[in-house]
Amino acid sequence: MYGWTGNILRIDLSHRIYKKESFDEKFALKWVGGRGFALKILWDELKPGIDPLGPENKLIIAVGPIAGIPAPNTGKTVVAAKSPLTGGYGDGNLGTRVTDQMRKAGYDVIIIEGKADNPTYLYIEDDKVEFLPASEIWGKGTYETQDWLYTRYGKGAGLLTIGQGGENLNLYAMIRSLEGRAGGRPGIGAVMGSKKLKAIVVKGSKPIPQADPEGMKKLGTEDLRKVQQIDRETGWSIQGTTGVLAWCNEVAALPVRNMRKTFHPEAWKIDGERLNAARVATYGCPNCTMRCGITILDHEGHKSELDYENIGMLGSNLEIFELDQVASLNYLCDDYGIDTISAGGTLAFYADAIDHGAIEGDFRFGDAEKAKELLRLAALRDGKLGNMLANGSLRMAREIGHGSEAYAMQVKGLEISAYNCKFIPGMALAYGTSPIGAHHKESWVITFEIKQTERGSYGPEKAAKVIELQRIRGGLFEFIVACRFPWIELGWDVKNYAIYFNKITGLNWTVEDFWKVADRIYSLMKFFWVREFPNWNRQMDYPPMVWFDPTNADKEGPIAGKILELDKYDRLLDYYYEQRGWDKRGIPTLKTAQELDLIEEATEVQKFTKLE
Amino acid sequence: MKVTVKLIGPFIYKAGFSEKVIDLEPGATVSKVILTLNLDSSRPHIVTRNGRAVAPTEQLEDGDRLVIAPIYSGG
Repeated sequence: MYGWTGNILRIDLSHRIYKKESFDEKFALKWVGGRGFALKILWDELKPGIDPLGPENKLIIAVGPIAGIPAPNTGKTVVAAKSPLTGGYGDGNLGTRVTDQMRKAGYDVIIIEGKADNPTYLYIEDDKVEFLPASEIWGKGTYETQDWLYTRYGKGAGLLTIGQGGENLNLYAMIRSLEGRAGGRPGIGAVMGSKKLKAIVVKGSKPIPQADPEGMKKLGTEDLRKVQQIDRETGWSIQGTTGVLAWCNEVAALPVRNMRKTFHPEAWKIDGERLNAARVATYGCPNCTMRCGITILDHEGHKSELDYENIGMLGSNLEIFELDQVASLNYLCDDYGIDTISAGGTLAFYADAIDHGAIEGDFRFGDAEKAKELLRLAALRDGKLGNMLANGSLRMAREIGHGSEAYAMQVKGLEISAYNCKFIPGMALAYGTSPIGAHHKESWVITFEIKQTERGSYGPEKAAKVIELQRIRGGLFEFIVACRFPWIELGWDVKNYAIYFNKITGLNWTVEDFWKVADRIYSLMKFFWVREFPNWNRQMDYPPMVWFDPTNADKEGPIAGKILELDKYDRLLDYYYEQRGWDKRGIPTLKTAQELDLIEEATEVQKFTKLE
Repeated sequence: MKVTVKLIGPFIYKAGFSEKVIDLEPGATVSKVILTLNLDSSRPHIVTRNGRAVAPTEQLEDGDRLVIAPIYSGG
């Protein structure tokens, strides 16, 4: 078997033991890697209903066949667990040196189970695992933690760390790596913290098994250069993802004031042009030639690495238009190890709830200094307010009541990222059907929707586009494990990834083979949710009700008077379910399970709900 | 007629400005603006006129706001 090491490293923190296990080719071909491996292992090994922050939950770190191989842009690793924020399947990916170090150490998957008695970090070097005391770094931010580890293990070591957010079980705590990379929005960092695991260090020295290593090296190196050339020609990296802020502001899709508004006259102050002008450094992931981490100095003088989600959620959504202050909020989130999107969404919800009289407080939109203090409270779970903020917007809304759940901007408990879908039905569907809760990484249809369809339409072509993009973004790139940017931003043909895959594995797959795996994974992710929530219904796939509220319509601008319509959104959901082979509740049918080779999983889920 | 052109992302550095009012002959189309600015129309892009997507052949009117952006994938 080429392309996979065939090895799983299982680490038991409770008993301080580890063992190497193997998987066979059948497992590899069915689930491929990354998200596929993580999902299947969590499905098989977790008992339904377990406490996500208890020792029964498992933290999965997984790579895919092309991860770590020099080729565009393969420096990513998937982290996954049952989410403490949503209660469902949760994962994310991040750029990290762990990717290639883990493969060189001889593993495709690391499973971390149990709970350490005391703060611990793991040092993994090839076949050896050490359980080491983390007392010196427990309580420290991610930057200090990384520096401490780099001093001991060198800059080339693969590191995954948590900050105070993960230690204190903030429900949107992330896992961090490198200068500003983070992954695991649905609280995967909190799962790591619940196990008293502060960091993982990985070093490897073995060759990665490939069918045609010389051919792949030549092709991958050439293609990295080609992608770099296209990037230079197009100028994409000048603003990276941050260029999208100015566009969202023009087409009324920007998150402003807890998404109450869709554009703002001061948005230009924090846009990609200003960021590029303020740039002091640029960071990126390993094996990447289109580095997107635009780094500026924040209000306190720290280097802060920003992308669009950061400036959208911590800037415009909080009506903070001082760039250095937005950078400060971003730095704090990275250092505490909490998700910038959920942090921005939760703080915006809090300000909105105060505005609407649902809760008393002194935080107002635009108050950067107070926002910094609230991030500290949330990361440390300091006091009653800190605990509420640490639980995310949905739990907070349910606690304070007064109808505030309608404007908790989340789906399934995960905060909506920086695209305001007040009048963008297809993107609202993408958020509604994202399998980890609202996240743009699964499917991003705004430009298709605005350019190629009537913006306010709800036709089956929009559902088809959401699925097409989910297959590529949430499927292919999450299970072979690579960054989507060369494909989506520079037009790098997705078929190239089949070529890489085949050179590495010796197989002869087409992209259609990838789509089948993607559909299998999406259906099993839904089964995972249904097993946790047996009374599952389609309302779990609804965006927040405020987007359907006529009183929330814009009063001016391109979409004045327009809102989403619930009956039509329901029809759009039907199109989506029909095309996926799911029933009216949004659950895969038995026939679909058979077609996707999910019979065993269907039998298991039938213990909880009857499949059609 | 006068049309305000707003460029997004890398187009700013190709054309040398972010936003400006340009003079056009009456009846000028979206394509004419892209040609005038020497932007590479073969690269995927999206043009909106007053917040609504438009085809290259659409004629502009005095006072329009035209936004020309690359296709983004979203952060």
